[in-house]
Amino acid sequence: MRPFTALPGGWASALRDPGLRLLLAAVLVAVAALTSVGFFADRVQRALELQGAALLGADLVVEQGEAPDPAWISHADSLGLQTARTVSFPSVIVANDQPVLVQVKAVDAAYPLRGRLQVETPQGPAGSAPPSGGAWVEGRLRDRVRAKVGETRLQLGEIALDMTGLLIDEPDRGGNLFQLSPRLMISFEDVERSGLLGPASRVEHRLLIAGDGAQVAAMRSWLRERLPAGSDLESLDDAQPAMRTAIERAERFLGLAALCASLLSGVAILLATRRYVDRALDGAAVLRTLGMSGAAVLRWHVARLIAVVLAAVAGGALFGLAGQQALTAVVGDWFGQALPAPGMRPALVGLAFGAALVAGFSVPTLIRIGAVPPLRVLRRELDAPGLANWLVWAIGAGAFVGLMVWQVQDARLALSIALAVFAALGALMMAGYGLLWLLAPLRRTGGTAALGLAALARYPQLTLLQLAGFGLGITLLLLLAVVRVDIIETWQASLPDDAPNHFLLNIQPDERSAIEALFAREGIPNSGLHPTTRARLTAINGEAVQPEGYTDRRSRRFAVREYSLSFNAELQSDNQVKAGRWWHTAAQREAPGFSIEESMAQTLDLEVGDLLSFDVAGQRVEAPVTSIRAVAWDSFNVNFFVVGTPMLVRDLPVAYLSSFHFTGDSTPLTLEFAERFPAVSVLDLRPILKQVREIMGRGSLAVEMVFLFTLVAAALVTFAAAQVSRDARAREVAVMRTIGASRRRLLGAVLAEFGVLGFVGGLLGALLAAISGYLIAVELFDLPGRIGPAVWWLGIGAGTLVVALVGWLATRRLLAVPPMQVLNSG
Amino acid sequence: MPDGKVLDILSAIDMRVNAGEAVAILGPSGSGKSTLLGLLAGLDTPTHGEVVLLGETLSQLDEDQRAALRAGRVGFVFQSFQLLPGMTAIENVALPLQLSGKSNARSAAATLLDEVGLGERLTHLPRQLSGGEQQRVALARAFAGDPAVLFADEPTGNLDAASGERITDLMFRLRDRAGSTLLLVTHDLQLARRCDRVLRLNAGRLLQEAA
Repeated sequence: MRPFTALPGGWASALRDPGLRLLLAAVLVAVAALTSVGFFADRVQRALELQGAALLGADLVVEQGEAPDPAWISHADSLGLQTARTVSFPSVIVANDQPVLVQVKAVDAAYPLRGRLQVETPQGPAGSAPPSGGAWVEGRLRDRVRAKVGETRLQLGEIALDMTGLLIDEPDRGGNLFQLSPRLMISFEDVERSGLLGPASRVEHRLLIAGDGAQVAAMRSWLRERLPAGSDLESLDDAQPAMRTAIERAERFLGLAALCASLLSGVAILLATRRYVDRALDGAAVLRTLGMSGAAVLRWHVARLIAVVLAAVAGGALFGLAGQQALTAVVGDWFGQALPAPGMRPALVGLAFGAALVAGFSVPTLIRIGAVPPLRVLRRELDAPGLANWLVWAIGAGAFVGLMVWQVQDARLALSIALAVFAALGALMMAGYGLLWLLAPLRRTGGTAALGLAALARYPQLTLLQLAGFGLGITLLLLLAVVRVDIIETWQASLPDDAPNHFLLNIQPDERSAIEALFAREGIPNSGLHPTTRARLTAINGEAVQPEGYTDRRSRRFAVREYSLSFNAELQSDNQVKAGRWWHTAAQREAPGFSIEESMAQTLDLEVGDLLSFDVAGQRVEAPVTSIRAVAWDSFNVNFFVVGTPMLVRDLPVAYLSSFHFTGDSTPLTLEFAERFPAVSVLDLRPILKQVREIMGRGSLAVEMVFLFTLVAAALVTFAAAQVSRDARAREVAVMRTIGASRRRLLGAVLAEFGVLGFVGGLLGALLAAISGYLIAVELFDLPGRIGPAVWWLGIGAGTLVVALVGWLATRRLLAVPPMQVLNSG
Repeated sequence: MPDGKVLDILSAIDMRVNAGEAVAILGPSGSGKSTLLGLLAGLDTPTHGEVVLLGETLSQLDEDQRAALRAGRVGFVFQSFQLLPGMTAIENVALPLQLSGKSNARSAAATLLDEVGLGERLTHLPRQLSGGEQQRVALARAFAGDPAVLFADEPTGNLDAASGERITDLMFRLRDRAGSTLLLVTHDLQLARRCDRVLRLNAGRLLQEAA
């Protein structure tokens, strides 16, 4: 079959049919919206992933104590992947006669594969490994030894190096955020000459890998099978938690916007099909009198529909591709780099989605054509029996949920959305029945408004259909228009302007009061001083923790990692207890207890009541888990996986940790710290904060763009909902005009009719959007559910106005046609 | 026309119908009968010429003024009944009365329906009625406001002979009682002969006027 040419009845007749034209437009816009969103989201997602990769300096990193196996590098080469190597280890340098403990990082010429190395040299900015004999130093190291970049020489092991550049930012420092010693970056050749890479040295080798996504995935699985124990494989998922949270949230926003657009498209398709079927029934009845069976008539229309849908899907995909190009042209700059090329998957997803949306939203209505009684040729008022309204909607929603499960690969999320959509439809239908019941008495009166409102009661099926269409459209639109802003604002507020931007590490107990005094003197807002100690998890419920006991790598890492235990009396404001209880009373604080972060609890399968044993510098610290906390890692406050009750800390060696917010140049302050508290490290978080804020900003802007498509889809739904009754309305208007109804009266009646539809749809839409917005914020984004009042006034006000306006415009056009023309047409 | 030519549907029509007169316009299909009726009733506007209805020149009135002229003073009966499918029989009949602001629209509609023999079918929807019954509802609606003029477009065209005859009798009975002017379009000679005057229309031209 050649669907594009062998259209039953021919293309010209198909395009003459306003119902089919509307269906074609609905599918075209649906697929265009879906694929634009798909292509664009795909590219944005890739760009965001690239930014995440920048935090690793690569797409994939192998980390271990020994040099990587050369076979891995050759395998990466054979897959067309790039590789780079770094080696880091602690060492002591001597500069200006001062010995300083530093964290040396030697990088090869290919470093970094992702992200940007930022170095200032007297000759200008640099972005790669220092030349042999040179070294990039961090600002705090320069300040500590009062060095001058370009002049000072330093001694590292057996070699002397020139401080040739100031290290501003390195992409893959995320994982080592809390590194105590300042960074010294040298070239890979020099590290071998330094003689510091002895067999017993505490060296961390990193093999950085980057390239095409599929090849990186292949490399990852290849490596997984070969990595020796003690090696670690890191990918974007393991990047610094604050950044990961930000990227995940941005992706969820985009996904939600795309889902809303596709659901709206489905509704438009359903309404368009209804119009097509209403008009096709007469012709179908004639075909049946000519001897065609109901099934054959239906097949004829299904073939016609398939041909039109295929054409619309193909056209839509092309529009989608063009649309996303336009989008990319607009947003390209925001990413500071060219967006990666779109993959083919969104096009295929668009095709499958378009076809499935039609199958789910169109076919249940279309089957009415096969059931048309032949007697309709004589008695036009005979209707074709069809499925109940609720069932038609339910099938559509079911198809949508199926598609969603397939696309988002998250059955729980898909089920939640499905339940929400069904609940929304149920609420809209109930409201529709309530409205019909309320309006029924108006059929007996004759005022202008009553005339319009009685029309709602006269066509209950249509009223329910339109109310569901308008209501669902308004709900999704509000969800994106208002709740989106509320959620994004809450998201951005989770990282306020005065979020801590400096960390103070390794404060000794005897320095506490001096540092608190310094904070007070300078008026620096700070998070207070948190006692911390390094610890290893040794046993859970008395059983020794063995990394081999865990199958996945993340659990193994949690099992062997070194923890910073903290001991706080108060629950931090950005923490939320999810299970168990925080120690609020003095008695509870005097009992041993741990509060653990929820992802740690999940990974190690811990519950409230489990007994944890930690080894702190040879001492055993044991306590039951008394609570599990959710931690807002992207708040940039000092936060801990494990917090103990204050009584646990008494006999332990601790250092203190603090964070503070400081605007302007912090160099003098850093210098003062270096001078007065030589062991304390000051960490400037501003570059990372900047990155997180950028992701938030770009994520929000990308959602705004995607939202435009949803707007188009919603406009289409509104148009389709108004059009669904157009033929019946045209006849009604003509008859009413014939028997003397004035334009004003008809328009007034229509304004009342559509105004009430819009009001009820808007009211319910606002209610549904507020509820789902709250749930989405809390459940999906882990943000407090704050829904502003705009959702109400916009839902009810704009819903009433827009729907009334749409009805008014549609009827105004009908009034321009002479009544005789309409009455003679059928 | 698609080829750019102008098609004259009606031309050189000059006619006058007096108050209380019953006039039939007779002609084959496609002769322009229904178009003429639409123009005379102000449902459409002529490209040239003038129509005066109840003393008002229709071309000088806008759409709303024409509708206001029709409201309560002009009744219509169509071949395909043109009842509003979502409205019951009584709602269809009460509609013109409600539009012209009558307060007792429903009771008046019930009386009229009783008069046309549908007193038991007040709350039936059009699809629940036979063709003859639907046309009786249409007649009741047309005479609801005691119209000065009744326009009827092939009122028996969709009915069998027996039903057609009953409708014709009913129409003339109601018209006699209301004293309405009747303008009837038909190709049924029998029906046309019951009028005071018959006009013949062929290919858009009024051929002759026969008594």
